[in-house]
Amino acid sequence: MNDNYHVFSDGRIERQDDTVRVVTDDGEKKYLPVENAEAIFLHGQLEYNTRFVSFLNQEGVAVHVFGWHDHYAGSIMPKRGQTSGQTIVDQVRAYDDPGHRLKLAKAFVDGSIHNMRSNVTYYDGRGYDFEHVLEELEDARASLDGMGTIDETMGVEARARKAYYSTFDEILPEGFVFGGRQYNPPNNEVNSLISFGNSLVYANIVSAIRATALDPTVSYLHEPGERRYSLALDIADLFKPLLADRVIFRLVNRGQLTTDDFEDDMNSCLLNEAGRKTYSKAYEKTLDETIDHPDLGKKVSYQYLLRVEAYKLKKHLLTGEEYVPFRRWW
Amino acid sequence: MTDSSTDPVDRFLDAARDETAELPFRLTGVMFQYYVVCERELWFLSRDVEIDRDTPSIVRGSDVDDSAYSDKRRDVRVDGIIAIDVLDSGEILEVKPSSSMTEPARLQLLFYLWYLDRVTGVEKTGVLAHPTEKRRETIELTPETSAEVESAIRGIREVVTAESPPPAEGKPVCDSCAYHDFCWSC
Repeated sequence: MNDNYHVFSDGRIERQDDTVRVVTDDGEKKYLPVENAEAIFLHGQLEYNTRFVSFLNQEGVAVHVFGWHDHYAGSIMPKRGQTSGQTIVDQVRAYDDPGHRLKLAKAFVDGSIHNMRSNVTYYDGRGYDFEHVLEELEDARASLDGMGTIDETMGVEARARKAYYSTFDEILPEGFVFGGRQYNPPNNEVNSLISFGNSLVYANIVSAIRATALDPTVSYLHEPGERRYSLALDIADLFKPLLADRVIFRLVNRGQLTTDDFEDDMNSCLLNEAGRKTYSKAYEKTLDETIDHPDLGKKVSYQYLLRVEAYKLKKHLLTGEEYVPFRRWW
Repeated sequence: MTDSSTDPVDRFLDAARDETAELPFRLTGVMFQYYVVCERELWFLSRDVEIDRDTPSIVRGSDVDDSAYSDKRRDVRVDGIIAIDVLDSGEILEVKPSSSMTEPARLQLLFYLWYLDRVTGVEKTGVLAHPTEKRRETIELTPETSAEVESAIRGIREVVTAESPPPAEGKPVCDSCAYHDFCWSC
């Protein structure tokens, strides 16, 4: 259920009867059973036609396209099953009410700091001394209350993330030097991994938001974007530590990803095809992990947590019931 | 939007009888079912909160509805407000997949009978059918059942015009409800 398929090869992707197949440039044919799929991620250079797009539309499957440097280029989303004018109205109203917007922005930051903290706590208990980072994160979180603007709230997020990223150089083995966040393009292996992981989280959240009638461009922490689904950015911050970063630590520390999985360009460093395959495979496995959800009274996958987050936000906007951001509880 | 001095039932009837008038609030047959089962669900429905159509109980209900009595029924739309199934015998049919939903379905059917009687002046008898259990029940409009419908209309209006839904309340139906995860995630 809700499988994602990643296509790395170059070639053609097409509808073949009631399924989708990839014909690679060297003539190999691979079939993707799409009936339970949530999305197809296109990483390679692929040709497709309207018949393919209509078929996926009918099956309710999204296509997320990644372009040069594996940057997220855009999505072809299936047409909405249902729409809700009331939801959009309430979503925009909350954006337009400075107090309400600030409250939501703070909730996103509060949740993401909690989830960063959760990763740091794990390594703090495994032979690293991250007491000072935990304090910094706690300070940042506590300072949120006093912030009066979105900019200040963004500042708290940046401060927390900087402290959080400072642990990466210690957690990751020699040969993987991070030295702070760089993107556009990433300048080293760690930055390349973070960029790739974050873009996968982002695309998955675009799909999750689509399952509600929320408009993905109307956001609270980030400024509503012209070209970006900025609501997906708001929600992505909550989930990056759980979904993207833990995969980095695991793969690199176990030697499943090495510097051989990257290619250096003039002034950038990017995962090569083998590296992207390894990462996305481990990432998809993480999405499939399940956890007992105390409120829902059942086991849910990490991927479903994204859907639940979209539900929670929509419910808050529609009913006024409190929005509590995702905080890892286990 | 509302004028509290007028009874919602009168205002609904006035609007339903006058083609040019706008209905004071949206009222559909299925709302009577939700009103009995869960008022919070009714509020969500009134706000077009979408549900996951893949939920097994929804799929099952649609299948039973589509397949039962297919040779003996006609879909009839009246005034764009109610959509009913009329049997060859002239009775109004309401099909339910299971008898656990009898009371909600009964109220919906009563609303159709009430509407036909009050708005179009046609007296009809209803049949509540459970094809999977091969059981049928005759439903008639009486002064008592009319009063039931009218009280439900007032109640539905209360729910759908409220700013926010009634708080979530755990019920046995929650487990199979399409809104379960929406309602209970926090």
